Amino acid sequence: MSTQSHPQQTPSYTLTCRMSHEAAALERLCQVVRIRGFRIAKMAVESVLEGTDETLDIALTIQGARPVAVLQSQLEKLHTVAEVKLASPALAHAASRIA
Amino acid sequence: MNGAQHILDTFHRHSIQTVFGYPGGCIMPLYDALVDDVRVEHVLCRHEQACALAADGYARASGELGVCIATSGPGATNLITGVANAHRDSIPMLVITGQVPSGLIGTDAFQETDVLGMTLGIVKHSYLIGNANELPAILEEAMALAQSGRPGPVWIDIPKDVLLAGTTPTPMRQSTPQDHSCPNLSGALAMLRAAKKPLLYSGGGISLAHAEKNFREFAQCSGLPAVVTLKGIGNAGKHSAYNLGMLGMHGSRAANRAVDECDLLLVIGARLDDRATGKLDGFAPNARTIHIDADAAEFNKLRDADLALRGDLNAILSGLSAALQEAPLAISEWQKQCQTSRTTGGFQAADNEEPLAPITGPAFIRQLSRVTPDDTVIACDVGQHQMWVAQQYQFDHPRHHLTSGGLGTMGFGLPAAIGAQFANRQSTVINVTGDGSFMMNAQELATIRRYNLPLKLIIMDNQCLGMVRQQQELFYSNRESQIDLNDNPDFVAMARAFDIPALKIERTDQIRRGVETILAYNGPMLLHVAIAREENVWPVVQPGGSNTDMIDETRRTPADNKEQVA
Repeated sequence: MSTQSHPQQTPSYTLTCRMSHEAAALERLCQVVRIRGFRIAKMAVESVLEGTDETLDIALTIQGARPVAVLQSQLEKLHTVAEVKLASPALAHAASRIA
Repeated sequence: MNGAQHILDTFHRHSIQTVFGYPGGCIMPLYDALVDDVRVEHVLCRHEQACALAADGYARASGELGVCIATSGPGATNLITGVANAHRDSIPMLVITGQVPSGLIGTDAFQETDVLGMTLGIVKHSYLIGNANELPAILEEAMALAQSGRPGPVWIDIPKDVLLAGTTPTPMRQSTPQDHSCPNLSGALAMLRAAKKPLLYSGGGISLAHAEKNFREFAQCSGLPAVVTLKGIGNAGKHSAYNLGMLGMHGSRAANRAVDECDLLLVIGARLDDRATGKLDGFAPNARTIHIDADAAEFNKLRDADLALRGDLNAILSGLSAALQEAPLAISEWQKQCQTSRTTGGFQAADNEEPLAPITGPAFIRQLSRVTPDDTVIACDVGQHQMWVAQQYQFDHPRHHLTSGGLGTMGFGLPAAIGAQFANRQSTVINVTGDGSFMMNAQELATIRRYNLPLKLIIMDNQCLGMVRQQQELFYSNRESQIDLNDNPDFVAMARAFDIPALKIERTDQIRRGVETILAYNGPMLLHVAIAREENVWPVVQPGGSNTDMIDETRRTPADNKEQVA
């Protein structure tokens, strides 16, 4: 009998992310998702040219048992990430106020 | 001006005078440019790992950017441990590596590795330069990024052809200005005033933010009983009335007891690391938490904060101090309780009265602390000696205590001490190490000799990997496995082979003279201190256990209940 939890039982979230299209941009993003305890179930990427800047618009469906807000703040910390939005809002840390 | 010359020009403009590196094929253009440069001192270490760790030590001791340089392939991979060490402890560092020429990338060329790919997880950011015209803007951005917000290492991988090509600078990217704003402090002040047993918990973020002065003012005017993390040692200074010392796995009973009893935990510049908190379920069970940090990603990562304040620590500490000076906290009972607790549950090491007795680790460090000047920089390695230093040495400033906190890198101490000596040429710098750690970067004795650094080296030699042995004794049924180092070389002879004088001590009555001798010697000197193999660091919390379940010496496994494995 497998002791692995079934992926369907794990909470799922959809994130959208905009980041500059630099070398290893996607690898960097995916690595943070993995190391912070989530797996990618679906991913769509589109390259967008804005003036001279090339950005990536990324839609991610991820699964993981940890608080998604923690992942969101780790992704926002990446230097090349301009914006991370949680499309399906997770349960926020209701107890915490961040000033 | 080619790419290599531009790098040196950038160093000049940013007053970077010392870099640590090792040459090789693809970085040769930069080393060729160094021949004509008299303003940058290049320190040639004997292994790239030591270059990165020396740059780390330089940055920790000076508060400035550390710079290390290596070639592609093995040069870059050898840097990785040192860069990971800087990343885990948020040390500002610029890493420059040569890469195979652009046209050869992806062809499995000689000394080619995917440096960008393999280092993603150990840097704040990294770049692979695509063409020479990008180099000027990326260099500026990298240096700013390494030192801003929560600092960290930034790695620039530069193909050889880019180093050789002429540069036409492109416009600088717009950088985000440093945030020096102060969030609203009214919530924090209200929580502080409502608390009966508030406790100050500070970490390495204080010195990373250059907030030592404001922290001390706040600690003093608030009168808060305080605990520190390993990296926060020295924050409060050696004369603080309410400092209970380090908390956590090898923390003081007084510190862990205060955390257990407090009703408010004010966490500043700390990340609630597992070595500090122990089992989270049992950590500060009665306390509300205020978490103040420069990095929002630390909030709610391990423990939910009741209030999180992100911002410039100087501004926040200064604002809190001003408010508390007007209306001090009424916590005299709690202060008194903590002071009593410090007397009975602080770090204590009895000085051995018997002159011929073997040297014990804690007593040696306590003596060392008494004899050395206040501004001495101690660079530790990792293991039992590291904890004895953390427990027994009285540090007056966090930049005087260089220790590998997050990564726990054996071999850190010697190159870090070299970096610290270059940062503070006149200061006393001592590498306190163990016999295991010392051998991990012992080749750097050659660097000490080459630059005639007046470094002092103290090897606390118990002829084993003491911390591993201790955990095997306490938590693995005393089954010793692969910890014996009883075939160590003769460290005194080894130092002398590098033309570094050395002496050995093994009795209590030799401690003071031994330390005074190396301190008085005008140049590098090594002190080999023989200590007992069976000595442990006390108290200790079992990994994964609660800090309230501290084990002390009385529960030690009897010597005859021992099984040798391997």
